[in-house]
Amino acid sequence: MTTAVKKKVCYYYDSDIGNYYYGQGHPMKPHRIRMTHNLLLNYGLYRKMEIYRPHKATAEEMTKFHSDEYIRFLRSIRPDNMSEYNKQMQRFNVGEDCPVFDGLYEFCQLSGGGSVAAAVKLNKQAADICINWGGGLHHAKKSEASGFCYVNDIVLGILELLKYHQRVLYIDIDVHHGDGVEEAFYTTDRVMTVSFHKYGEYFPGTGDLRDIGAGKGKYYAVNIPLRDGMDDDSYESIFVPIITKVMETFQPNAVVLQCGADSLTGDRLGCFNLTVKGHGKCVEFVKKYNLPFLMVGGGGYTIRNVSRCWTYETSVALGTEIANELPYNDYFEYFGPDFKLHISPSNMANQNTPEYLEKIKTRLFENLRMLPHAPGVQVQSIPEDGVNDESEDEEKANPDERLPESIQDKRITGDNEFSESEDEGEGGRRDHRNYNKQRKRPRLDPNDPADAKVKEEEKMQCDEPNPKTSSTSA
Amino acid sequence: MTANMYRVGDYVYFEATSTNPYQIRRIEELNKTPNGNVEAKVMCFFRRRDLPTSLVSLADKHQGALDIEGENSDREDLSSKQRHQLTHRELFLSRQVETLPATLIRGKCSVTLLNETESLLSYLNKDDTFFYCLVFDPSQRTLLADKGEIRVGPKYQAEILPKLKEGDIDPRKFELMESLMWTPEHNLTDKQIDQFLVTSRSVGTFARALDCSSSVKQPSLHMSAQAASRDITLFHAMDTLHKHGYNLSEAHSSLVPSTGPVLCRDEMEEWSAFEANLFEEALEKYGKDFTDIRQDFLPWKTLKNIIEYYYMWKTTDRYVQQKRVKAVEAESKLKQVYIPNYNKPAGTLNNNKGILNGTTEPCIGKPCESCGATASQQWYSWGPSHMQYKLCQGCWNYWKKYGGLRVPMAKIVPGENEIDLPKKKSGSLSDEAISPTILVLNMQTKTERIPSSLSHRPHRCSIIGCAREFKVKAQLARHYATAHGLAVRAGSPRPIMKTRTAFYLATTPLTRIARRLCRNLLMSRHAARSPFWTINVPAIKQECQASIAGKSMVELRSLLVYKRKDRGSVTNIATQLGLARNHELIVPDWLSPTPPDHIPRSERIAFPKPPKAPDGSLLYERIPNKPEIEKPGILPSTPISGTKRKHCEEVNGVDGSLGVHDGIQASKRLSRDVLSSGGGGGGPIGPRTVINHLNGKARVATMSRTGRKQVISWMDAPDDVYFKSTTITKKVRKQLTAVQLRRAARKPWRKLSLVKGMEDMIVVLE
Repeated sequence: MTTAVKKKVCYYYDSDIGNYYYGQGHPMKPHRIRMTHNLLLNYGLYRKMEIYRPHKATAEEMTKFHSDEYIRFLRSIRPDNMSEYNKQMQRFNVGEDCPVFDGLYEFCQLSGGGSVAAAVKLNKQAADICINWGGGLHHAKKSEASGFCYVNDIVLGILELLKYHQRVLYIDIDVHHGDGVEEAFYTTDRVMTVSFHKYGEYFPGTGDLRDIGAGKGKYYAVNIPLRDGMDDDSYESIFVPIITKVMETFQPNAVVLQCGADSLTGDRLGCFNLTVKGHGKCVEFVKKYNLPFLMVGGGGYTIRNVSRCWTYETSVALGTEIANELPYNDYFEYFGPDFKLHISPSNMANQNTPEYLEKIKTRLFENLRMLPHAPGVQVQSIPEDGVNDESEDEEKANPDERLPESIQDKRITGDNEFSESEDEGEGGRRDHRNYNKQRKRPRLDPNDPADAKVKEEEKMQCDEPNPKTSSTSA
Repeated sequence: MTANMYRVGDYVYFEATSTNPYQIRRIEELNKTPNGNVEAKVMCFFRRRDLPTSLVSLADKHQGALDIEGENSDREDLSSKQRHQLTHRELFLSRQVETLPATLIRGKCSVTLLNETESLLSYLNKDDTFFYCLVFDPSQRTLLADKGEIRVGPKYQAEILPKLKEGDIDPRKFELMESLMWTPEHNLTDKQIDQFLVTSRSVGTFARALDCSSSVKQPSLHMSAQAASRDITLFHAMDTLHKHGYNLSEAHSSLVPSTGPVLCRDEMEEWSAFEANLFEEALEKYGKDFTDIRQDFLPWKTLKNIIEYYYMWKTTDRYVQQKRVKAVEAESKLKQVYIPNYNKPAGTLNNNKGILNGTTEPCIGKPCESCGATASQQWYSWGPSHMQYKLCQGCWNYWKKYGGLRVPMAKIVPGENEIDLPKKKSGSLSDEAISPTILVLNMQTKTERIPSSLSHRPHRCSIIGCAREFKVKAQLARHYATAHGLAVRAGSPRPIMKTRTAFYLATTPLTRIARRLCRNLLMSRHAARSPFWTINVPAIKQECQASIAGKSMVELRSLLVYKRKDRGSVTNIATQLGLARNHELIVPDWLSPTPPDHIPRSERIAFPKPPKAPDGSLLYERIPNKPEIEKPGILPSTPISGTKRKHCEEVNGVDGSLGVHDGIQASKRLSRDVLSSGGGGGGPIGPRTVINHLNGKARVATMSRTGRKQVISWMDAPDDVYFKSTTITKKVRKQLTAVQLRRAARKPWRKLSLVKGMEDMIVVLE
């Protein structure tokens, strides 16, 4: 479905970002963000969106997630005073994968500042989609750098979104597991993290199917462990049903999509076989839900493909088709020998058999079924549908313009309604969940009449309000 | 075609030896060697049979846990045969990398991390598929699950504040969070924007014509136009439009202010040819270390300038040329390699792997050990050769691929492996039992002589290509230091590199008894002649124990008594030999000794003989030519002298009758000292070290101050010591008379009553 809906897109970019250099031989190259930017300009996409230069995130903003000590350390470390910080470097895991380079802190400030500003923009409902290709550094932990990431801009952005949104969905299509974000929100039911990644003898080693969250956040972490050679079709066959189910059961108020481009074919570090089109399909699919949508970058180590991918995904966000022929730009020579936007998959073997993917899907559905269906959530699904219906009206009414205020207002009320019903009755939602959980804890046995009843009820809960979506997921 | 195309990342079978199962490896790199062969750098997967026995049980345990956890009903339904075969499908990942010739590749397989949702049967039902759950570390000999952890606790999770209530206001100033650079909300059409872009480019071209530095660099209009079309001009144009509120005329006029047309140049254009050359030179020298490049070559540029220039420089022809050179160099790195099917002619099979008895006629009555078939195109001998086991074609293929027999073997292979059997699950019985023997030959050629080392965990050097094993960690550390220049910090602050202390052989009575009793095993003469010939100590021990068993104390003691064999004097023997001749001994004149009184005497005796003492020994005059005796440093009566002297005591090869062989004057004193220390009663104050060195097996016995005996490795020899003289010691020393000093020097163990607190002065060098 190529929607004619024109979304208001805000794009965050700082012209300095391309000049940060991780060091000789390091695969992470912020330059890819500049390459994307130049492609956007020459494709004429630049003029179709609001372009913002983000502020530099302050230490105060970063410590909303990170520990004070860690940020203080990042602020003070420089290549020329590294020797004084030996102990701390070890403690904060800075040195090898995450080297100390010139302007390290500024780089973190820019990527963090972009995601925070983008989240604020979405909170103010001043945009439908915000893009920060300089962000997406999903491995960074509260007090630890990891996997080329120092400051977790995604967590900062989500924390910002949580101020105005009861539930935020985080989707991660980087080839690596989004461990930093998952860990940050492992025990909360307000953020669901869904990560599609290569698992098994692969960085960072987390992301097992069995990791589902803890405490209140149990079942709110969804991990899809994949094997080498994922191609477009396989990816879609697992991404679409899982996300459909997640949207249906979790009913987020906002979505963050980490578009790590190392899941593309031929990536220097990745081992999947996705094309730009297949990767972009995920963006397209999430965009269809018409939720406040934050897109961030992430991994991606064959930089010509990264900039291809993110350019294409920007065009998807904008709902604009762009030519396969790349326009001339400063870095045109990087895209040889074909100078095309789209790339073809390699003939590498796909180790993910349909059988395997099916089994994983079944297991994840089982987990998602454990999510509480609190009345508060149920009630929400109806206005959500209403919004969806109306958005179709929007489509017809004014495809090129920003949403009329009337509709935006409706959305605001929608959001408020959710929160009101949840906040009512002093943690009513939690109680309901406990109640549900008690009944659902034993595995459902179709032969057991009591269980069957529960299942039936559950089914009704899912089906009734939104028969369309559930039929597609089945 | 694709089946024989092997590429990086493929999982493949390697055939290292014809009799053993294939090795399973993952291709990490394919490299062409100078002589045209292809070498594969591979990551090793281990089979269960390759694991040390101690770890096999651990693997079984893990497997058992999986069974319980796994909710798939089909796991319970597995027959014992299937369970048995599954153990062949499980591999253990290792991070060990080795290089093998690509010609040994025998086909592809697939190895995947087992997912709990998967049915194990899906592996059994598909050929050449394997799974793994655990990671085996051959150097540490550990088996671990390769699983990261999401940590839970306030140190790890984000603090989430509740959603803002209606009316709550975020106090931050949002204007400061971002600055708008462009908005699509304007009344310009796409066409107008494009036109403005063209205009700004033309202005840029004109500006370059006016600018002298540019006109030198870009002598043609064409080049100026090209330079003016770079993205920086476009970005500037967009910014200009935005700044002037998307008012075209204002934007236009701002392009040509009174100071002249606007000129936007990026790093590519900004850099002079000289700077560009300098940069290339620097790049060649330093690689992409831009900080160093800036410091040493282009200090007038900022780091950002250099990085920006670098990424633009990569688009130039010069870079492309360089890349081509690099590509030629990289040609040795292959992406894939074609290896034809491996079809060894049947004849070779007969000869090498051997149809039993080397003929086409199989042993009658001996069916295939695995499936019991009696007919097969080809037979293969399998297992220990004396067992004369054989396998049919199908089972042989299975054995090669999966490293086991299709059906659990009923018979138990006799031999050293019987002990291991009861530990194993009934399903995985017996065919693995053979494996350790092969394993020994295969992996541990160095230690194969000592079967007990299998259970012992040696310390192995982890440097790739070295893998030497050491019994003691300290030895390994020393090896690291000497062979690889690596300092491995152990718990102890002691330096790794330490001088070897001298040692001598102290024989216990038992050793002496053993020497006499096991003469035929020991072959001491042979051992003496070839010192590198290993003596089978355990065998001697055993033999000795056996023969001692029946003997009384008296008998044993008699064994210890040194019996001087009267072989007669050499002179007599020589004379006898001479007399034994049949003819008269003919001595030529020149050979007969000159009578003493006929010997000519010199006028001056240079070295007159010293006078004789009453006991007949010669009295030598003492020549005090070494002034250091008086000097600080070697003050007698302190342990220092004891230790110092010890270094010279190399009484190598002197055996148990040490004290008896004192015919040689020079060694007399040494021997006595040694004896006294060995006896422990002699009362040397300082720590004395006595080392047993019996055919390569070193042992150090230390006499500590308390007289307790500690056994330490000679690698951990006592530390070097020196004596630190202080003003006090100097003063004390001066109180000694020369006689006392000399006496003390000669008898260092004797405590000088005068000296107090001297022992504290010893400083151990660390």
